[in-house]
Amino acid sequence: MDGTLFFQTLVDGLILGGIFSLSAVGFSLIFGVLGIVNLAHGIFVLLGAYLGLALKQTMGIDPLAAIPIVCAALFVLGALLQLTLVAGAVRRSSLMSSLLITFGASLILRDAVILVFGPDVQFLSSAWLVDTFHIGDVIVDGARATGLIASLLLLGLLSLALYHLKVGRAMRATAQQDFAAGLCGIDARRIYAVTFGISAAFAGASGIIIGLINPFSPFDDTYWTLNAFVTVVLGGVGSPVGALLGGLLLGEISTFSSQYVGSLYSNVFIFSALLLMLIVRPNGLLGNAYKGSV
Amino acid sequence: MRGFHKPVPATVWALAALLLAGAVVLPFVASPFHLRLAQQILLFGGLAVAWNLLGGFTTYWSFGHAAFFGLGAFAAGLLGQQLGAEFSVAARLIIGLAFAVAISLVAAVAVALPVLRLRGIYFAIAMLAFAQILGEVSKTFDLFQGAMGFPLPLLKFPGLEKVQLFYFLFLLFCLVSVAVFVLVKRSRLGVGLTCIGQDEDTAAMLGVPTERYKLVAFVLSAMLTAAGGVLYVYGLGFMTSETVFRIDISLNLILFSMVGGIGTVAGPLIGATIMILLTQVVLGDLLDLHMMLTGAVLIAMVILAPKGLLGLFRRAWSRRRLAETVEATP
Repeated sequence: MDGTLFFQTLVDGLILGGIFSLSAVGFSLIFGVLGIVNLAHGIFVLLGAYLGLALKQTMGIDPLAAIPIVCAALFVLGALLQLTLVAGAVRRSSLMSSLLITFGASLILRDAVILVFGPDVQFLSSAWLVDTFHIGDVIVDGARATGLIASLLLLGLLSLALYHLKVGRAMRATAQQDFAAGLCGIDARRIYAVTFGISAAFAGASGIIIGLINPFSPFDDTYWTLNAFVTVVLGGVGSPVGALLGGLLLGEISTFSSQYVGSLYSNVFIFSALLLMLIVRPNGLLGNAYKGSV
Repeated sequence: MRGFHKPVPATVWALAALLLAGAVVLPFVASPFHLRLAQQILLFGGLAVAWNLLGGFTTYWSFGHAAFFGLGAFAAGLLGQQLGAEFSVAARLIIGLAFAVAISLVAAVAVALPVLRLRGIYFAIAMLAFAQILGEVSKTFDLFQGAMGFPLPLLKFPGLEKVQLFYFLFLLFCLVSVAVFVLVKRSRLGVGLTCIGQDEDTAAMLGVPTERYKLVAFVLSAMLTAAGGVLYVYGLGFMTSETVFRIDISLNLILFSMVGGIGTVAGPLIGATIMILLTQVVLGDLLDLHMMLTGAVLIAMVILAPKGLLGLFRRAWSRRRLAETVEATP
């Protein structure tokens, strides 16, 4: 086996995986805290990318600098979605109904994106990208390296917030036992809305980073939702570390299968890995961060 | 389970007979456009009824029934190619149907053994992944010709236009689906499935063979869906991976059931009728807004009428009955 090619594939996989991790961490939070699979996650990712595009085109803000603005906007959108629609559906029928609600929301938002931005493929560019550099014979693409650095920073921030801020502790408590958390004076309704908001915010941030690396179109949202699900099922539910582990694994599976088997086959490998993990260990390698492994 | 169910009231029989008579006459009076709408309603209504065999009784909601739809279509299409012109088109269709049903039986059992052990959301997503895998595989390997697609022979029947012929085939499919569903619902299997839907662990403790019942319902549902896929592509005359392994097919089956009423036989048919008329006729000119409307209806139904239109109707009906009883008591 060619050593350089092997290491190049390994590095590419790690970088791709870091970005997958960021795009999946919000999905993982909602899944862990609310037990809901958010099928609108992919469209949140895309909304981030499109908002970044709009800010750049109208006000000339660099996409990387626009991340806080995009995060704030998506936080509000996510929290509103939970407060107005998802909470009501879960209360009135069942947890399964959240799948339909979030799917319905994704259809509406996707149509809205198409109406505003058109169905064409778009891309983002930033003036602040790291230059492409070499480690030995291995080439590291500048845009991707920047994406990886930003992803790791944001994941670290989320980790700090979850384990050291009061709201993070409240989120983890609600995930473990919403009733007991309520007895301790935590307003579960508020925490659920905050969780949804944070999740959407991180999805939006990842959307910008993805937009810097790959072209995107309004029809990619299913791809990002499924990717997030695979990442969570591979790594583990509810924690940034689980998302990181799952994302890196997914990145490696994706690059190695396209390098050594053929790029057409990488999706087959990814979904097969998903099915296998669902059957063997549905809560991922690290288990559920809040509820223990099944 | 004799005596477990009330006998079907005469009014329901009469209504069903009337509907059927109307359905048989329709192709000779309706315009081709309306007939095509009716075709879609029958096919996707029938498929939604088939989806309800498992999803209607229990919370095992398959989000990937397009897997069996596509599997059936590819099995029949490719076999038809192999058989070639020596066989008549009708023979190829019938052999293809039998082959598709057999293949989907094997595939459903193979998938069910691991996947039916998962519950709720995990099952839903595992099925979604299964459909994606089949879609990718059919596109990736040249053997299946899914990326480029291939044509299917044109089925002819003396005295009938193509639209009319396929209308009758879809009607037949819908009737078979409905018959299977009604038989299951009124059998021991249906009672067992309802128990599983209410509380699977308790059902298992009380002696309901939960694993076997779930498997049977899943396999029946898959076989019917595969047959629907075969008829669909023969009606189109051409197929690719994109035409059959479509995520919106999987989701529409759930949507139709939700709109009409999950777990009933009339619900999915009513849901399919309303949604297809709404998207194709009312919004026929506003193609851009299709998805938005579908999403909005989905959300509205889940929040306002989680048991579907039939559920709303039943609630109103029982309230009226209650009010009448209260008035009648001195």
